[in-house]
Amino acid sequence: MADLSVTLCGVPLKNPVIPASGTFGFGREFNEIYDISVLGAVATKGLTLAPRSGNPVPRIAESGNVVLNAVGLQNPGVESFLKNDLSWLRSKTRVIANVAGSTVEEYGEICARLDGKTDFIELNISCPNVKCGGMAFGVRPADVERVTRTAKDALKSTPLIVKLSPNVESISAVARAAEAGGADGISLVNTFTGMAIDVERRRPVLANNTGGVSGAGIKPIAVRMVYEASRAVNIPVVGMGGIVCAEDAVEFLLAGATAVQVGTHNFTDALACPKIIEGLSRWCEAHGVEKIGALTGALQCN
Amino acid sequence: MREVIATVLENIRIAEEVYSLTFAAEEIPVRAGQFCMIGVGAPLRRPFALCKAEGERYTVCYRVKGAGTRALAAVRPKDEISVLMPLGNGFVLQPHEKTVAVVGGGVGVFPLIAAIRAFCGEREVYSFMGFRNRAAVCMQYEMQRSKELVIATDDGSAGYRGTAVQAFMENVGRIRPDAVLACGPLPMLKALKTAVGGRFPVYASLEERMGCGIGACLVCVCNTADGGHARVCKDGPVFDLSKISL
Repeated sequence: MADLSVTLCGVPLKNPVIPASGTFGFGREFNEIYDISVLGAVATKGLTLAPRSGNPVPRIAESGNVVLNAVGLQNPGVESFLKNDLSWLRSKTRVIANVAGSTVEEYGEICARLDGKTDFIELNISCPNVKCGGMAFGVRPADVERVTRTAKDALKSTPLIVKLSPNVESISAVARAAEAGGADGISLVNTFTGMAIDVERRRPVLANNTGGVSGAGIKPIAVRMVYEASRAVNIPVVGMGGIVCAEDAVEFLLAGATAVQVGTHNFTDALACPKIIEGLSRWCEAHGVEKIGALTGALQCN
Repeated sequence: MREVIATVLENIRIAEEVYSLTFAAEEIPVRAGQFCMIGVGAPLRRPFALCKAEGERYTVCYRVKGAGTRALAAVRPKDEISVLMPLGNGFVLQPHEKTVAVVGGGVGVFPLIAAIRAFCGEREVYSFMGFRNRAAVCMQYEMQRSKELVIATDDGSAGYRGTAVQAFMENVGRIRPDAVLACGPLPMLKALKTAVGGRFPVYASLEERMGCGIGACLVCVCNTADGGHARVCKDGPVFDLSKISL
């Protein structure tokens, strides 16, 4: 049996497969279909200081082999998560709390409340679907560095992963800015801003008009960005964007990722994550890889 | 709730652009009004009410509307499809709700077929089913289990000329229902809610574009009367309309 365990920002994970934020709630619903303790970790739904009701519906659309969403960070707020969901989720697996503020200060405040209680913080500075905060802090390197530093200052013991937006001029520059701000790791990519139009109604399908594009079709762009970002920094990278099978996950590992997240494919196949974990085990065995960590950054460019 | 690989037994056209798909899978208890998510070879599964569940045989009916339902219409007997089921809460009647009106419009009649099948033995069921025209009428043999059935068409080409809600309201004084089960387009549900005016509960199955179908992604929400949100897939799809803001 190949060893699938990895260490991410000093924290051991039983395998590198993590359902991505926003596609998995706090894990309870998927746990009705399979025991989520098989997962390396769970990235929670984005948490804000106060509960948020999100955007009007429709919040989802499909276009070719990608999906657009504009949920708008609907969540019960960080206090509800701490009270109702955290201890259950921690009893299952490692917890990555995804944090979204409306102001820089709010990011710090949410992080302070979660410090020492979850295994990781994932700073969501890349949500394309909210008016305040979200992607606003994730575009300019100076803003990325500032919000990262504020979050880092609020955290005494929990590693900080900054989730980068792909809607930027240079992914390397924002990756370096996160590292400069004190990030312990980065994750990418969040969704690409897009639009789908209902030609009969001559209106955007999404009530929010635009939404975040995810799914299989974005994978080559995401792989390239993970490759570039991982070469720009000396902190671990969590790769995601269109992963639907073990081979896709291996691509991200080779490009430089230590772990991977699976988002949209959880909708296509509720058992996506456990299937990818099993697939990685088979792939490693078939390719004589004893420890999956050996794949990270093992890409040889032409 | 399980993800099953089901075998298609039949996929036939039953009205203009409307198909009935029957598949075989392991026997799972299903409540009337529950639904399933079927993989159609696209990133998102499509939600369909389970019209019939008989042992290992399940039937969904759908109108071909976009790429997903077009792909589904092309599946053939012996093909395998991935099905996530059963999902949602289903229709639940209180013991005292003995006389029940069933009001459906368009593809909204299909979840109600399951309700008619479930409740006809034990309750008095009066059904009012609306279609665009005669060519759209289907599954009458299932609806005829009702104590009374009124078919309504917009153009009067079959049955009552008008909407299912109009047909129901013409008879409401006579049948005096304890509750209404409903499904249909939003304007229909709004008209029904207004016409009933809270005199008796209306339990309606809502339709919304869905992501995961199991309550995790918060894509398919509706507004609740108290200003909050409910998930159509997990907290519904059947809601007491007095608790929902349409």
